[in-house]
Amino acid sequence: MTVPLLTVRGVDYAYPGGVMALRNLNLTVEKGQKLAILGPNGSGKTTLLLHLNGAFQPTCGEIRLEDRPAGYDRRSLTDWRRRVGLVLQEPDDQLFAATVGQDVSFGPLNLGLTAVETRERVGEALAALRIDHLADRATHTLSFGQKKRVAMAGVLAMRPEILALDEPTAGLDSHGVAHLLDALQRLHEAGTTLVFSTHDVELAYAWADQAAIFQDGTVLRQGETTAVLADRDLLQQARLRPPLLLELAQLLPGPLLRSREAVLAQLQERLQG
Amino acid sequence: MQAIDHHAWTNRWRNRHPVEKLLPALTLLALTLALPPLTIGPLVLAATLLATVRGAGIPLKTVLSVLAAPAAFLLAGAPFLAISVRFHDGFSVQFSPDGLRLAVDTMVRALAATSCLTALILTTPLTDLVPLLRRVGVPTGIVELILLIYRLIFVFAERALTGRQAQAARLGYSSVPRGIRSAGWLAGALFQRALERAQRLELGLTARGYAGELRVLPSECALSWSRLALSMTLVGLIGLTSSLLARGLA
Repeated sequence: MTVPLLTVRGVDYAYPGGVMALRNLNLTVEKGQKLAILGPNGSGKTTLLLHLNGAFQPTCGEIRLEDRPAGYDRRSLTDWRRRVGLVLQEPDDQLFAATVGQDVSFGPLNLGLTAVETRERVGEALAALRIDHLADRATHTLSFGQKKRVAMAGVLAMRPEILALDEPTAGLDSHGVAHLLDALQRLHEAGTTLVFSTHDVELAYAWADQAAIFQDGTVLRQGETTAVLADRDLLQQARLRPPLLLELAQLLPGPLLRSREAVLAQLQERLQG
Repeated sequence: MQAIDHHAWTNRWRNRHPVEKLLPALTLLALTLALPPLTIGPLVLAATLLATVRGAGIPLKTVLSVLAAPAAFLLAGAPFLAISVRFHDGFSVQFSPDGLRLAVDTMVRALAATSCLTALILTTPLTDLVPLLRRVGVPTGIVELILLIYRLIFVFAERALTGRQAQAARLGYSSVPRGIRSAGWLAGALFQRALERAQRLELGLTARGYAGELRVLPSECALSWSRLALSMTLVGLIGLTSSLLARGLA
């Protein structure tokens, strides 16, 4: 078996002041995966993601990057952040520069790239998210959905191996979500490993290979999405409802269908026949 | 402010190098302050209006509305310069011809000077000008701070606006005392938000390898020496014409 890209082992984290945010948390991220971290709001998903790129340091336990424990000195952190990119939920927490192009250039310049290389990275990241036309726009004149894409481009420009996204679909309309998922799918096909937190079970069911059910600061179970989401007791414990699509698919005979179109087609056939 | 910002980012001269706009504007400003106002003033006003409206393509209405606020202050204040108040032999208020001349001079000069700055800020976003400070030796930290504040003004202005609307929807401004209290609460909440936001912004920047310096790619527009030379020649001609006119009138 290959070594996972990232392993979280027995991690505890207490906020300054002593409130426990994570307790004995285990998680593995394999190369090429699409991993959904599912949990209700306020369960500490963001805190977990902030551990995945070294922004927070666990009070206990360890995080391993491939076969080595991750370090918290400046050099290790730089390398870690190059490998694991984190996109925050609120884009205004991430965008600071006056124009889109300048903001996206921040990460590559911090990696020590030259102006020429940086310009190339900026173009590449904006193109990957289909927002090349925004390059010269002022950051504060963008719509929420555009800001979200720009925040993502700023992280992509660092070419991370793992892209971690905190509630990527929050606040987007269905068109925005579709646009985002298209972009993520392209990244996935290009070899980027994706980790995202969400409370949207439908999204996880439709889109993730693996799901980790997260509650009260710990992962209750991580595994293949369909298996995890079919575990009713587990979901109930985490105050989540099973996805409607899964429940419908379970009513149909044969192998479990994942896509909305397939389930609807089958149902229609049976209702008419 | 929103209107100024909008035009600064979208006008025809947006992508010209900031020095091409800054230098002529400051030179015109210097001429306005140095030469007799009655001749240079109207020339400068005409030149700046022509530049912003015909050159940069900003609607005349916008330019005039930006100029209107300082002009109103001038109209309200300048007439008092024409009046002199005496305290010996009791108290008397007098209208003096010298004072009138002074009032007109002041008004024309101030308006022309304002128009230079208006032309500059309507055609150039603040964030193009601030990096120039670094070249004249202002420490990087201060320049970064100015740019961050510029960015955050918009974030908080939006918050303040929605917060006020939410309060108004619950009758928070239905009377003056209540309005004052609501505004106080809103200000308090904004301070708290600002602190939280600063912490999260730091996390967001750290995730992208922030190590104490907010470096970004400089903007790519190149300085056109020929355009700069042309506009400086025009500015020089304006100065010359005004001096000749002033001599002729005298």
